[in-house]
Amino acid sequence: MLTLDDVRLTYNGGTSAEVRALRGVTLTIPAGEFVTVVGSNGAGKSSLIKLVAGEERPTSGRVELDGRDVTRLPVHRRARDVARVFDDPRAGSLPELSIEDNLALALSRGQRRRLRFAVGGERRALMRERLAVLGLGLERRLADPVGLLSAGQRQSLTMVMAGLRDPRVLLLDEHLAALDPGTQRRVLELTTAMVRRLGCATVMVTHNMEHAIDVGDRLLVMSRGELIADFSGERKAALSVEALVETIASAGDAVSDRMVLREEAAPAGAGR
Amino acid sequence: MKQLILDTLVTGMPLVTSVIGIWMIFRLREDFDLTVDASFATGGAVTAALLVKGSGVVPAMLVAIAACGAMGLMTAGLHLLLRVPVLLAGVAMSIGFYSVDLAIMGTPSVSLADGGTLFSGFANLSPDQADLATIGVLSAFVLTVLVGLGLFLRTEIGLALRASGVNARMARSQGVNVRVLLCFSLVVANGLAGLSGCLVVQSDGFADVNMGTGTLIAGIGAVLLGELILRPTGSKLLRTMLALLVGALAYRFILVGALRLGLPATDLQAVTALTLVTAIAAERYGRPLLSLLRRRITTIGPPSRAPRAAAGTGGQ
Repeated sequence: MLTLDDVRLTYNGGTSAEVRALRGVTLTIPAGEFVTVVGSNGAGKSSLIKLVAGEERPTSGRVELDGRDVTRLPVHRRARDVARVFDDPRAGSLPELSIEDNLALALSRGQRRRLRFAVGGERRALMRERLAVLGLGLERRLADPVGLLSAGQRQSLTMVMAGLRDPRVLLLDEHLAALDPGTQRRVLELTTAMVRRLGCATVMVTHNMEHAIDVGDRLLVMSRGELIADFSGERKAALSVEALVETIASAGDAVSDRMVLREEAAPAGAGR
Repeated sequence: MKQLILDTLVTGMPLVTSVIGIWMIFRLREDFDLTVDASFATGGAVTAALLVKGSGVVPAMLVAIAACGAMGLMTAGLHLLLRVPVLLAGVAMSIGFYSVDLAIMGTPSVSLADGGTLFSGFANLSPDQADLATIGVLSAFVLTVLVGLGLFLRTEIGLALRASGVNARMARSQGVNVRVLLCFSLVVANGLAGLSGCLVVQSDGFADVNMGTGTLIAGIGAVLLGELILRPTGSKLLRTMLALLVGALAYRFILVGALRLGLPATDLQAVTALTLVTAIAAERYGRPLLSLLRRRITTIGPPSRAPRAAAGTGGQ
């Protein structure tokens, strides 16, 4: 369970360049709930992710994981509980290193690392099994450097890496943004299947209204550092892209083209 | 030619461990640690001072290596606590420790000609046999370090170390404590440079306060040369370790060769700088030139002539 209690985040506080990225967000996401987050640029979506991951510390407020206060814990000490998939496939992997080295690093996420070989027979078997699910043939390329993979293959790999050790919170930060529409669909299917298997609290930030509506149990709308709407159950099922856009626009935010474009019509790589 | 190779091995082998240390920071951390200039000299100075006082070889070397590891820790402290960039912290260390080394030795240079070193036992052998014996002892040190590091980098901690240099943000998100690993790699890198200093003063028979100058630059040149020759990539660790050995020796070979050609020793620093620049240029432009060369060989000329002609136009 992830709990945010009146979390505020201010950059450059007290100067003329002050930016209030989060203005008091209170939120509880129970284990097993899949939440999607939408909002225009500068709404605070990425700040929310960074705060939970530990990359930023809130100016005030508390972050709790299963009732444990983690507000001041640095990134590496939260890693046991928090798995994260970055928006840029390059950010979430080590391009120079082989697929098996990348997976081995993720296999030790949040564990005590020891002086034993990182890649062994047992671990390889597990890697092959997990990669085979993707249907990309990566299970036969364990020794290849990750830099040789396409963006979609890499993002699929980082998804597998995130799910190797069961996290309590899974953070997906616009993880489809750099992919072409066909690949987006495949990775999205992979995402829903994985979230179901892991049964952890999941936060998926997206700029794509259709994705936000189609997947997940609950949809949050952010604007200017605040939560302005919270849809779940039947209310979420009844949502349309138009209604969602109306919600954002009524808060006074500009709705950019890429948010309302249909998936089919979006040019490849529109997210970047 | 035989003497050239023997000289290369005798003077090059002791330098391999410092090249390994420099590689750990240069390639694994993508940074430059100038502390190695100081720890190389300090390793030599401490060893020499202790040996002259009559200490045994093993304790002298252990103390020297430990002192140099502590210097790496100081650089790490400057970087992490005061937020001084590693390069700048290294500059401060290398200047500061010049005085420390002078104080340790008492004089700018100390002779170990009276014996008591790792290699003193070989004094009665003929020059060639003494060289071979020296090379044998040095190789044992170098191979131990290379194999040890190669195996270590394959472990979970070693993998975390490699990851933290390539993509620190990702490594953190996988639970890697990047700061601790930076301290660790600085300590090991400087310890290895210190070991290098220990071996050099013992095989040369004297220690000099200036002996560390240029260690980092020469080491970077050796790393680049090795990569140029063997082209190792990320997860191919055996090849990477071999490239370090080959690079260090190739670099030394060039210097020894220049001396043999009659260049005065005072010009060696210029040769070092030129070799470094050439290695960088070859790394940058060598591959396209090489593939151009291959294409020419296959399309027109007989293989015996074409490379020389092409190399002539490209090299000057």
